Amino acid sequence: MKRYIVSIWSLILSAFLVISCNKYLDQEPISNIVPDDYLTEESQLAAYAIEKYTDILPSHSNWSFGTFGTDGNTDNMATPTLDNKWIPGQWKVGSSGGDWSFTSIYELNYFLNRVIPLWQSGSITGVSTNIEHYIGEVYFLRACAYFDKLQTLGDFPIIKTVLTDNTEELIEASKRQPRNEVARFILSDLDSAITLLSPTAPDGKKNRISKACAQLVKSRVALYEGTWLKYFKGTAFVPNGPEWPGLTKDYNSSYQYPSGSIDSEIDYFLGQAMDAAKAVADNYALVANTGIIESLNNENPYFNMFSAVDMSGYSEVLLWREYNVSVVTHNVPVYAQLGNYAVGLTKSMVESFLMANGLPIYASGSGYQGDETIADVRTNRDGRLHLFLKEPGQKNVLTNLSEGDHATEIEPVPSIWESSWEQKYTTGYTIRKGLNYDGAQCDNGRGYTGSITFRAVEAYLNYIEACYEKTGAIDASADAYWRQIRARAGVDQDYGKTIAATQMSMETNDWGAYSAGVLIDPTLYNIRRERRDELMAEGLRYMDLKRWRALDQLIGNYYHVEGFKLWGSMREWYTDDQLVYGSSNANAVVSDPALSSYLRPYEILSSSLSYNGTSWAMAHYLSPIATVHFTISATNGDVSSSPIYQNPGWSTTANAAPTGY
Amino acid sequence: MLITCFFFFAIQAQAIQGVQVSGVVRDTEGPLPGVSIRVKGAAQSLGQTNDQGLFKLNVEPNITLVFSYIGYAAKEVALSEFTPDAQGNYSLNVEMEKGDGTNLEEVVVVGFGTQKKVNMTAAVSSIDSKALESRPVQNATQALQGLVPGLNISQNNGSLESTASVNIRGTGTIGTSSSDPLILVDGMEGSLNAINPQDIESISVLKDASAAAVYGSRAAFGVILVTTKKGKAGKAQFNYNNNLRYTRPVLLPKQMDSYTFALYFNDAQTNGGNAAFFSDEHLQRILDYQAGTLTSSIPVSSSNSQYWADGYAEGNANVDWYKAMYRNQSFSHEHNVSLTGGGEKTTYYVSGNMMKQDGLMQFNQDFYNRYGITAKINNKINDYIQANYSTRFLREEYERPSNLTTTFYQDLARQGWPTLPLYDPNGYLYSSPSPALGMRDGGDDKQVKDWSYHQLQLVLEPIKGWKTFAELNYRMTYTNRHWDLQQLYNHDVNGEPYLYSASSNVYEYAYKENYYNINAYSEYTKDFNEVHHFKAMAGFQTESTGYRDVGVQRNGIIVPNVSTINTTSGTDANGDPLTPSVSGQYQQWKTAGFFGRLNYDYKGKYLVEGNLRYDGSSRFRAAKRWGLFPSISAGWNMAQEGFWENMKDKVELFKLRASYGQLGNQNTDVWYPTYVTMPVGTSNGTWLVNGSQPNTSNAPGLVSSTLTWETIKSVDVGLDFSMFNGKLSGAFDWYERKTLDMVGPAIEMPVTLGTSVPQTNNTDLKSNGFDLELSWRDRLENGLGYNMRFVLSDYQTTITRYPNDTRLLSTYRSGQKMGEIWGYETIGIAKTQAEMDDHLASLPNGGQNALGSNWAAGDIMYADLNGDGKIDNGANTESDHGDLKVIGNSTPRYSFSFDLSLDWKGFDFRALFQGVMKRDYWQGSYFFWGASSGGIWWSTGLKEHEDYFRSDESHPLGQNLDSYYPRPLFNGKNQQTQTRYLQNAAYIRLKNIQLGYSLPKSITQKWGGQNLRVFVSGENLWTGTETATMFDPETIDGGSDGSVYPLSRVISFGLNMTF
Repeated sequence: MKRYIVSIWSLILSAFLVISCNKYLDQEPISNIVPDDYLTEESQLAAYAIEKYTDILPSHSNWSFGTFGTDGNTDNMATPTLDNKWIPGQWKVGSSGGDWSFTSIYELNYFLNRVIPLWQSGSITGVSTNIEHYIGEVYFLRACAYFDKLQTLGDFPIIKTVLTDNTEELIEASKRQPRNEVARFILSDLDSAITLLSPTAPDGKKNRISKACAQLVKSRVALYEGTWLKYFKGTAFVPNGPEWPGLTKDYNSSYQYPSGSIDSEIDYFLGQAMDAAKAVADNYALVANTGIIESLNNENPYFNMFSAVDMSGYSEVLLWREYNVSVVTHNVPVYAQLGNYAVGLTKSMVESFLMANGLPIYASGSGYQGDETIADVRTNRDGRLHLFLKEPGQKNVLTNLSEGDHATEIEPVPSIWESSWEQKYTTGYTIRKGLNYDGAQCDNGRGYTGSITFRAVEAYLNYIEACYEKTGAIDASADAYWRQIRARAGVDQDYGKTIAATQMSMETNDWGAYSAGVLIDPTLYNIRRERRDELMAEGLRYMDLKRWRALDQLIGNYYHVEGFKLWGSMREWYTDDQLVYGSSNANAVVSDPALSSYLRPYEILSSSLSYNGTSWAMAHYLSPIATVHFTISATNGDVSSSPIYQNPGWSTTANAAPTGY
Repeated sequence: MLITCFFFFAIQAQAIQGVQVSGVVRDTEGPLPGVSIRVKGAAQSLGQTNDQGLFKLNVEPNITLVFSYIGYAAKEVALSEFTPDAQGNYSLNVEMEKGDGTNLEEVVVVGFGTQKKVNMTAAVSSIDSKALESRPVQNATQALQGLVPGLNISQNNGSLESTASVNIRGTGTIGTSSSDPLILVDGMEGSLNAINPQDIESISVLKDASAAAVYGSRAAFGVILVTTKKGKAGKAQFNYNNNLRYTRPVLLPKQMDSYTFALYFNDAQTNGGNAAFFSDEHLQRILDYQAGTLTSSIPVSSSNSQYWADGYAEGNANVDWYKAMYRNQSFSHEHNVSLTGGGEKTTYYVSGNMMKQDGLMQFNQDFYNRYGITAKINNKINDYIQANYSTRFLREEYERPSNLTTTFYQDLARQGWPTLPLYDPNGYLYSSPSPALGMRDGGDDKQVKDWSYHQLQLVLEPIKGWKTFAELNYRMTYTNRHWDLQQLYNHDVNGEPYLYSASSNVYEYAYKENYYNINAYSEYTKDFNEVHHFKAMAGFQTESTGYRDVGVQRNGIIVPNVSTINTTSGTDANGDPLTPSVSGQYQQWKTAGFFGRLNYDYKGKYLVEGNLRYDGSSRFRAAKRWGLFPSISAGWNMAQEGFWENMKDKVELFKLRASYGQLGNQNTDVWYPTYVTMPVGTSNGTWLVNGSQPNTSNAPGLVSSTLTWETIKSVDVGLDFSMFNGKLSGAFDWYERKTLDMVGPAIEMPVTLGTSVPQTNNTDLKSNGFDLELSWRDRLENGLGYNMRFVLSDYQTTITRYPNDTRLLSTYRSGQKMGEIWGYETIGIAKTQAEMDDHLASLPNGGQNALGSNWAAGDIMYADLNGDGKIDNGANTESDHGDLKVIGNSTPRYSFSFDLSLDWKGFDFRALFQGVMKRDYWQGSYFFWGASSGGIWWSTGLKEHEDYFRSDESHPLGQNLDSYYPRPLFNGKNQQTQTRYLQNAAYIRLKNIQLGYSLPKSITQKWGGQNLRVFVSGENLWTGTETATMFDPETIDGGSDGSVYPLSRVISFGLNMTF
């Protein structure tokens, strides 16, 4: 009997285990945070907001010319290859992905949906001004995310809540709201942000968003929408315009502007732009420009502002990103001392700068020395060109020369023959903006100068432009702002003199001289010129060209982007081996002198798609929406049943180039 | 602990004496060599007779020996029927008769028990240790490749820490669960890599749901049962064997020489309308360097004369980076010792194994070492209680350069420009960046993994036929990892070092896992009237695993050769403090299950088996936690029928069988799949605030709380047969396995959702295929024994339900075969512009514009399959796929192996071929194409790419109009998936070939030994394939775009001796 007992006991033991089984198998995560426990404390809000900065705000990244290179592929700056958008027929509808994406918006909505109720019920611990500040940051970031959509797609769904995975609900949410409604929504988010944000962010070093950032962006968005509506009025690119695709959908077919008409809508936005810009401009002074170029120890704050390691001391800097040699770095200092990572300044850009006396270069008595050499180009010019245009022989490194293995101590003759983007001078003209004189910044890929995200001078310029666009005149504030900018630049403050001497027929190489295919008036042109010159290489050019509708003149025409006057006396800088040319010569590295005595970086080989020059198609003002988004939101595979409509000129077939626009 | 065990066994060995049995085996014509001898009831062979038919064994008293020989009836000899001599030893004369010599008595290990092979009704394959013998491989998994039909093993990377992937009968899931088989070592979950291969006695692979059913939700995709060796009663027997190996890479890609490379890249640039990268002056330097007239591999920087110029922009060296980074040959060795013995009540087995394998990295070599100790004791406490205990300890050490990460393979291919100097003109390694300097000086990554197993088993048999097993298993895994990243120095023109990479840090990581497993089960066997055989089994099983880990990384190594956390400063190169990064977590899961099995057979003719398992898992919420999984199988051995009598002397086994079963799969990738967690990061933000990295967090994803089991249903129909007295035997299985309610990729929803669509149980798939195994064993009159074994298996997987209503080709569609490759049909390369123009003219509605522009001589002409006058992929859906069609399938089809072994007068020979008969693969990476759409920094130039289109008659490399590759472009228009460049990845490989010689007993006995064998063995010595020559067909899908750490080609020799 004893024999059975042991066996029986082991079975009984198993039975005990069975009884307690379900409890035994309950297993919750032990070392993870569940959503219910999070976003209830000040520092958690801060952590959530900061995560979105790098996605949404511009700053330097490694192996590029950072924010200074963003204007590449415009009339300001050229890169070795021309972007597809300038070669009609090459930009095609994608089959998936693209700008029609809601990831950032979802993440920011998640925060607001969760935090606002908690905040209102007082369930978030922490200092109340800080809590408000971080909520304000998220409103600000959502506005920025939406502004990006406004620029690329125009009409766009306005989604303020976290949606569930219910297809009907998501299709309903896909309805595109007219672009001015999107802009109004962005302004309302920015108003929330302005209310909540502290004038000085809790970090105290302007590494985080502050109230003035929201005001600046508000002026930027309002000016964007105001000028867009103004210049695209009467086209398919504005709500209720002829062939506006929104008319094809029931939900938009009887759209009415909230202010009654497109004209009052324009007026509304320009007014908003002025108010917001003024709030910044009146409170943030411009930093001084001493004119000194070799400024190792901040002898010229205006120069050093763009490449300082710590930018918190510059009044004009509203937000900047800090880098650290061991944590996060970029290579802007190396490229600033060499060929700007092949982003070259164009002849058009260089020529738009006035003489220091305030006259355009072509005006009689301007004192312009011509462009046979870079030294000539810089002589007697706008202090900003003098400061920021590089010239061979200038010193690039003033200290720690032996520390950076990629430092370029003395600015060389532009190596236009190179093809590696690291080495190449694409146009012959390069800039010093962002150059730091410390060799320690020049270990390859290990630079750590700061990166400016917002600069107050833009508010000055936004005000001047909005004021003139709205009222047709320069008011007292605009006058004061403009004079301050010109004084700081080292140009005669009398802008009237410049306007009087401006001949629009001489400015046709500047795309911004046009709106809707016609030349604009000299006053407006000089406002745009000021903006172009002050914000050179700061990443806003393409945005401006679009809102001004300043590319129509390229439709059906070819524009030739040019660099320095290679085939003049500067030709002597090079050996024949370095200047191989010929449109069918596989070894050619520069353009044929028969085309132009100026270097044409896109017109070297005839096999290149850019060989004929730069052109444009009307549809390119807005991006296409990829075809998959129509298919997914269609009810029975019929694309036309989707609530989404395509932008003007674009097709709902993948890989198709735009037609009719 | 281990030492104590060892002493214990040693004492036992002295205390208990076995008996010696010797004698001769003969048939009517004379002595029989090679007769296999085992103890009745055991699977393991004790040995074989020698040339003269003689044998000598040490065994327990009162056992029954079984003598078996091909073509002869097995002979059982009970020692109790003989009288020992004065010393208690036996001398036997065994007569064998020709007849039914099949291994019908062979016993196979199945779930919670063993079964006679002849009575099996489920799909089970097994192999014994012989198949793994003398293989110079790193682990048992590699040795198993190809040996078991339906067990698919592929190793697509040769680096020492990478392990082969294993599946049974193909892809089981495309969802977020694992379809790995369950691997049990002596009944407890374990790893095929973390075991001394020489401890393995046999391996059973349970393939269908019926066989795996008793293991429930962990075994949804089959089970691999490893049974390890245990003690043999008798005089202590000591075995030593070793294996000395020379390892070479199976395949290293060959790079272009520097001049060809420069011309190639220049052509790619200028074909696309961009300026040449290498100027004429630069090309001249490259030529001068090749000719030896220029000795400097790189000029001095033009902008800063203290430094060398940038290696990419200015280098003129001539380096084959694959040759430079990998060594030609490395040495490895393995040693094993084992000791076994025991007496009537107690037997023991102890073994030790050491393997040291050197890797193939040239700079700062990589290593893999393994040490294993096993001890096993089986003790009969009394007539009805037996206690078995075993312990195994295994240590794996792996060391590599810190820079040998997966990006190395990528970088080697794309940064390994032949023109890039390896050394600067002063002879220092020069990084620009390039792989060598960091590899040599960048620090080491060391990993130590300890596995410690304890298994205690009590077997109670109070009455004959009723056995109860109680098992307690415990495993502890402990991993320790250290890496240090050191500062790197380049040297300037004067040979002075300067800091090139300033960051240095030390990382330490510790991981401890505990695994507990309790099994209690009871079985009862009863025969009625010798015709009805019943066996019933029921039991309970629970498993519980948890781990915790902690990791820390701190910057600023103070003294380079002292790299511990203690000796880091926590500062960056500028002396500013940096927050150390720290991690640590706890994770757990548990399962519980009840199971039962009933076997019945009538006279061994009609066989039935039923299984039931009721399983619960902690991975699901209480409401969805439990699942009931039944299975049933039946067999009919026609050879036992009366009508078979006439054939019985030719076909002694002919068994049809069928099974059906259903299993759950709880092996979700995450351990808490129904919980939403907040993604939170500590000090990891890259937007610095006040100079430091901020904490970050993000929105949680959406999770469906209704997740539940995936269900696997499988049907298997099989046939086992044995003919001509066991000379020919085989098994064939046809199966279909359905995976239902997979936690599949989420359905497509409008992207207004803003985040990934949550996954639900929404996808089904089906795999079907067959397994075939044939073997022929015989011995010729002249004593030549030979054995041939052919294994063939195949599977295909079909998606049967998938949420893709638009039937996009970019993802799965229901009804599609897995591995489908859609592509264009290639007409060819246009030799002239006119030919291209004619082709485009034949496409009036848009030409090839959808794929690119500027079509010219040297570009691909694609076929307009749908005749719409343009080349495109339509809407990329099944109904509108434009000119795409299915051009191939990447599933490996018809995996096979052929194993031939011979033995003759002490010599033995084996050749094992393994391969895949049919497989297409599209490897569209830059590694295949050379110049790619990724641009100049994502391109490479290999020997194969030299065969590219050149129309220019005066091209320095000559005109090449009949090229394999189109004209090079940093553009993807010629690189669409297409028929011309589809790879045939079928192959046959001589996996192993070995030749051994066993010295005659007459000689070995003079030295006191029993057996001495010497051998040479080679691995991966020959491959037949049509795959492009830069790829190994086994690794074409591995590494980074097919650029991998090469597999090893090994020549080894060694000896095996037993005392």
